[in-house]
Amino acid sequence: MSIKGQAIWGFGAVAALAAVPLFLTQPYYLHTVIMILFYAFLASSWNIVGGFAGQLSLGHSAYAAIGGYTSTLLFIHTGLTPWVGMLVGGLIAAIIAVLVGMPTFRLRGAYYALATVAFAEGFRVILESTKHVGKWDTGGAEGLMVPLKGNMPSLMQFMGKAPYYYVILGMLVLVVLVSWYIDRSKLGYYLTALREDEEAAQALGSNTAIAKLQAAAISAFFTALGGTFYAQLVRFLEPPAIAGADLSSQMVLLAIVGGRGTVLGPVLGGVLLTTLGELTRAKLGGSLLGIHLILYGIGVMVAILYKPQGLIDPLMAGVRKLARVVNRSRAAAETGR
Amino acid sequence: MVILEAKNLVKRFGGLIATNDVSLSVEQGSITGVIGPNGAGKTTLFALISGFHTLSSGEIWFEGKRIDGLKPYDLCKRGVARTFQVVKPFASKSVLYNVTVGAFARTNRTAEAERSALEVLKLTGLYEKRDALAKSLTIVDRKRLEVAKALATGPKLLLLDEVLAGLTPREVGEAVELVRTIREQGVTILMIEHVMQAVMALCENVHVIHHGVKIAEGTPMEVTRNETVIKAYLGEKYAAAAGSQ
Amino acid sequence: MGLTNAVVNGILMGSVYALIALGLTLIFGIMKVVNFAHGALLMIAMYAAYFTWLLTKANPYLALVVVAPLMFAIGYLLQRYLIRPVFKAEADTREPISALLLTAGLMVTLENAALLVFGGDYLTAKTSMTGVTYHLGSVSVSAARLYAFLITFAAGGVFHLFLKHTETGRAMRAVGQDRSASSLMGINVYKIYDIAFGAGVALLGVAGVVLIPFYYAQPSVGQIFGTRAFITVVLGGLGSVPGALVGGLLIGVVESVAAQFMEATWTQVLINYGFLVFLFIKPSGLFGSPYDS
Repeated sequence: MSIKGQAIWGFGAVAALAAVPLFLTQPYYLHTVIMILFYAFLASSWNIVGGFAGQLSLGHSAYAAIGGYTSTLLFIHTGLTPWVGMLVGGLIAAIIAVLVGMPTFRLRGAYYALATVAFAEGFRVILESTKHVGKWDTGGAEGLMVPLKGNMPSLMQFMGKAPYYYVILGMLVLVVLVSWYIDRSKLGYYLTALREDEEAAQALGSNTAIAKLQAAAISAFFTALGGTFYAQLVRFLEPPAIAGADLSSQMVLLAIVGGRGTVLGPVLGGVLLTTLGELTRAKLGGSLLGIHLILYGIGVMVAILYKPQGLIDPLMAGVRKLARVVNRSRAAAETGR
Repeated sequence: MVILEAKNLVKRFGGLIATNDVSLSVEQGSITGVIGPNGAGKTTLFALISGFHTLSSGEIWFEGKRIDGLKPYDLCKRGVARTFQVVKPFASKSVLYNVTVGAFARTNRTAEAERSALEVLKLTGLYEKRDALAKSLTIVDRKRLEVAKALATGPKLLLLDEVLAGLTPREVGEAVELVRTIREQGVTILMIEHVMQAVMALCENVHVIHHGVKIAEGTPMEVTRNETVIKAYLGEKYAAAAGSQ
Repeated sequence: MGLTNAVVNGILMGSVYALIALGLTLIFGIMKVVNFAHGALLMIAMYAAYFTWLLTKANPYLALVVVAPLMFAIGYLLQRYLIRPVFKAEADTREPISALLLTAGLMVTLENAALLVFGGDYLTAKTSMTGVTYHLGSVSVSAARLYAFLITFAAGGVFHLFLKHTETGRAMRAVGQDRSASSLMGINVYKIYDIAFGAGVALLGVAGVVLIPFYYAQPSVGQIFGTRAFITVVLGGLGSVPGALVGGLLIGVVESVAAQFMEATWTQVLINYGFLVFLFIKPSGLFGSPYDS
């Protein structure tokens, strides 16, 4: 599809998504779609390093935690608006991702995945065990609350859910655009190359270590932004939720089912599975804890068994076929006239 | 003018000496061959020159500057490109994509890299197949692709590692033409080869490696008459026969 | 508590870590599959042990008779029907990443299914033995930990003999060394994989049984043991049996001794980050070969 075609579809999709709050006005439903977009955002952010660069980071929630805690602590103790705190958190997360990546990217796939798990688990425990950083209270295991300021858009707090929806929609669009741009840029080509054959990529001039670090930094940056958003939405940060294995797993599972390493795959996976998860939770009630995760787990296993490349490619192939059929019948109708 | 100079290269893997005091030089614009029986250490030599293995000792000079110790991607930027004996295509991507990766060595812009890649594809006869997936190519085309990728990086020195292996005589002929065309573009070529037909047809100078040691150097004619060389390939009997010529 | 005491207790616990790691390193050594569901399977084993004890009201260690074969069967079936198809699909790649992802998905499924079915309660097998401690000089060990050590040690020994002296054991080692060669020698490679996976998980069964008298079963208990097992395996060298043993004991001792100087939660940080440092220095582990990594 040409760039123009893609742009048209893109605008259409975003416009459709933007119209959702006009129809779904109940807070419960709005919250649900916000979470759907949120997880799609996280999956897309993970995908930049986990899909494009092919590095299986299984402890990515650490970066979300860095984002959330940074912006919240800065807000509580210096009054800095989370809009800026978000960027600070993103920057810190990017730097840490590079520091973590430098020694770990040398390791083979499984070792790397393991290192990310060890790092993230350790980080979560640090968050749980630390009550103060200097003079700042960080909450420890009890968690950190974001002070309620009412309707203050400049401080990223809103009355009602709709504004949050637009914020996360904007973030999702941004991360998808960035992914799309990377995919067709030199970095994207180098990342794909090193995924397929790292030695060959190096022989062709790619400093693969640097490429991976760039991907890691960008991915961590966006994941951290997500962490801040979460903090502002839920107004409560606790280590097991924001820095835990569940969140890490979710990001990965959603991206894989949708299509690791593609631009839209993680969005698809995020939207599809989270919707399913939320529907199941709604139907079967809150007494069934963790049912959505069971679904994701099974979803990933099924995906790996039958469609390891994810659902996006078959889906796009189906859409293209549909488009051809439509075009052909339209052409036939015209000649028939 | 000498474009590549390798001085006293030694490479040890634990107790094994893969490369034992090998020195060679390559004239700019030439097609130079490296031949030798299997397991002689030719590919190790290439790996040393292209930065995939580190030297145990020795020096490598390229265009008057020392390059030993540099990483493969830095060497590529300087103009040293290589192909791999076991071809390494980016299997699930198209031929054009594969070559474009190489072209990015000279530019940062995708459009420019693609244009460059298309030119290289035309040169190597893969233009028609530019949208085919690399994994769907025949072995001949995969070899072409391997060369095309390296060529797209705009090298001054191209290391070809047994690109002719497994080709039919007609395909060998086509490949020989391609190598000549590449040289005409101003690229110096250093090639490891077993297919003697090509070595005789193409190489101006040949180095012979055996057990990690250089045992002879000269024109293809000189080298194939050399007693030590024949002994290395075929054993004592034939050496004696050649000696009596 | 005393340093000697800490070391002794560290060794006792380390033996359990070693047995868990043994299963993992076996699976990796033979199949090159990183079983991310290893911890979750231990969790299942603990629940199995708990319920066997609860229902039979017999000595919890007797549950071994039920749990070990049960876990073997679970492992065997998982490998046969879930992992093998994925494995075959990427038979030529050097690292089966898809199998890794599959086991990661399995882990998430198992943990949350357990949460659903068993709830979040912490369950342990309280018996007449609970609280019994033996003293020797400055060292005091709880009966349960002592038995855990003895049983895991015995299990490890039996397994070692199995690997060394039985036909199947030799076949497993052969497959671990060279899949194609073993296949050419007439070994049914995929059947060996099934058995190996079953054996690895059976070892988890033993570990689960010895843990339940003094540890709590809960849905996420597998997470910490799983990560420990991985750290142990990498420490000892992926695929190395003596490595798993030494690694396990080492981790146990480090954990126990560190707890003398810092809060328990920080020992986890120490181990995790210490492991990261180790990983950068010697990724092939204490007993591994640098050509494996």
